[in-house]
Amino acid sequence: KRSWGTEQGESSPAASCFPCTLLLLASVPLFCLSASIVSLHEDNVTTLSATFVSYLNSAEEVPIQVLREREAKWLEMLNSWDKWMAKKHKKVKERCQKGIPPSLRGRAWLFLTGGKVRREQNQGKFLELDNQPGDPKWVDIIERDLHRQFPFHEMFAARGGHGQQDLFRVLKAYTLHRPEEGYCQAQAPIAAVLLMHMPAEDAFWVLVQICEKYLPGYYSTGLEAIQLDGEILYALLRRVSPVAHRHLKKHKLEPILYMTEWFMCAFSRTLPWASVLRVWDMFLCEGVKILFRVGLVLLKCTLGSQEKLKACQGLYETMELLRAIQPQYIQESFLVHEVIELVVSEKDIEKEHNAQLRRWKESHGDLHCKSPPRMHGAKAIMAADPPSRQDLRQRPTIIVESPLAPKTDGVSADNGKQSRMTQEGKQRETILPPQETVYNPYLPSSDPSPLLEHMTVKVSKESLSSAEHDTYL
Amino acid sequence: MGSDEAYNFVFKVVLIGESGVGKSNLLSRFTKNEFSHDSRTTIGVEFSTRTVQLNSFTIKAQIWDTAGLERYRAITSAYYRGAVGALLVYDITKHLTYESVERWLKELYEHAKPNIVVMLVGNKTDLESERSVPTEEARDFAEKKGLLFLETSALASTNVEAAFNNVLEEIHKRVGSTEGVRSSISAVSLSSSRGENAEEQKPCCRNL
Repeated sequence: KRSWGTEQGESSPAASCFPCTLLLLASVPLFCLSASIVSLHEDNVTTLSATFVSYLNSAEEVPIQVLREREAKWLEMLNSWDKWMAKKHKKVKERCQKGIPPSLRGRAWLFLTGGKVRREQNQGKFLELDNQPGDPKWVDIIERDLHRQFPFHEMFAARGGHGQQDLFRVLKAYTLHRPEEGYCQAQAPIAAVLLMHMPAEDAFWVLVQICEKYLPGYYSTGLEAIQLDGEILYALLRRVSPVAHRHLKKHKLEPILYMTEWFMCAFSRTLPWASVLRVWDMFLCEGVKILFRVGLVLLKCTLGSQEKLKACQGLYETMELLRAIQPQYIQESFLVHEVIELVVSEKDIEKEHNAQLRRWKESHGDLHCKSPPRMHGAKAIMAADPPSRQDLRQRPTIIVESPLAPKTDGVSADNGKQSRMTQEGKQRETILPPQETVYNPYLPSSDPSPLLEHMTVKVSKESLSSAEHDTYL
Repeated sequence: MGSDEAYNFVFKVVLIGESGVGKSNLLSRFTKNEFSHDSRTTIGVEFSTRTVQLNSFTIKAQIWDTAGLERYRAITSAYYRGAVGALLVYDITKHLTYESVERWLKELYEHAKPNIVVMLVGNKTDLESERSVPTEEARDFAEKKGLLFLETSALASTNVEAAFNNVLEEIHKRVGSTEGVRSSISAVSLSSSRGENAEEQKPCCRNL
């Protein structure tokens, strides 16, 4: 059913692999994988089955009990976000490092990035931008890219489907929000990842925050910021892995040849999906240093010893190796552990940034695009623009009134999950094993959860385009 | 892929042109015989190789592909380095992509070797009914500028082999006649065991 291969029906190796891959994925318990799973490693179709195997192995299995506990903790944090960020930020950071529970990832990202605050302080703004036609020049380029982001993900596979529509809306809105910047192709995968977790309006504000606060200048004309970061990465590598550094120097392999896609897409096109999500959890909490650490780990693991270097005799061979990193180095637990352990701080990055900026000005003159200094994570963003309590108040768009829920204050969460959980706890003996009472939006709707009978659902008035296929529960 | 095969020459060829004209699919068609309507946007650099026989020589074509969007041109100097051939691609159904060919040529000559072999490629001939660039017009332009010219379809696999092979042949011709060009080519001696100490670039070993 999926169009793969040519019009003439020419088959490629992937055509035979793909259907069985989907079947296998469907049998894996969903609570072990994130809700945005079906994005596979797309590039090399002949290694699809190998990638799939490594993909399965690469996702950590979190016991459901632990997951429920984490969810409860996160709900508590989100309810008094400002206090947690001000007084217990270290704990927030730790929890991000452990991995945000999939059911709350979207909301956590919204809060971490300050997207929530931006949205509250600019109510109606996204709708306003959404209703404008947009600059035809950008609209044309964006439209050409809609079917080229995560095309194997069910959300984006359908041409003109709601996923592609929302992607268009978000990217177009950005070009209207920042007309001097316009659209840069690397923003599309970023927006797509966000849309897998939250509605278009939220995704828009998080994209804004990423482009303005976390990675300023990355997507602007001239791409100076990314070039500078490439030099910073290379300079930091000298301390982290002198062997790798020397090798890159010897073969004149410039950073821009390997780190562009890594950094501009925040590794969303490089790593297995489970690893992408863990990296983003940390990146959105702690800032760009996480991207640097991931890059350094990949370089160190791939090129960090004479033994490994035997496989790459030249520039091209090295690039090939960096493009096809061995699965064990990008596996979720391994990678996260390495990233946390690597001693590279904001100070290190800022120091190197200044050094590289000086060098840049000597050879290129002043920067054409003067971006504001970047913010190193959630705490810095919040400190720069302290929000009011009102800004952080959760305003659920779907209110679920459960007759069994004892608590009322702050319990009607955005998706009603918490009240369902309470119900589930009480009904555990009477109905079905826990897995089946957890509402799963990805199961066919012909078999609704028994819990739904007790609930009155107020339909969301936001995100109108996704009203029929609401995947954000 | 081709890394274990023996070869006389390695020719680096770059694909340039506006976003969406089909560079990535030309690459995948030539090196892997694959095509996808939904191949993802190129960000950074993509590359692939294919080894071909040219007369009695074995040529390893190293094809590089990058993003076509305007702002990515800021990072292309590393991309062009050492390239001896270029395929400048436009979409025959989108006249705008043909109009920017002059700009691409200018950029190319600014960054690449002056005697780089360039072929103008009009892609997507499978969409003949939507053509907006007449073949003759493009051919005349190419002749005037000293460029090779072909129209291709990565989808239907038309002329893709011919396009790359012609460029490689032309490069090889120039290799034979110009000392300057030859020094930029990394030529490796014919040897089946590439894994061993091939740290230095040995001079080309020609079958005479």
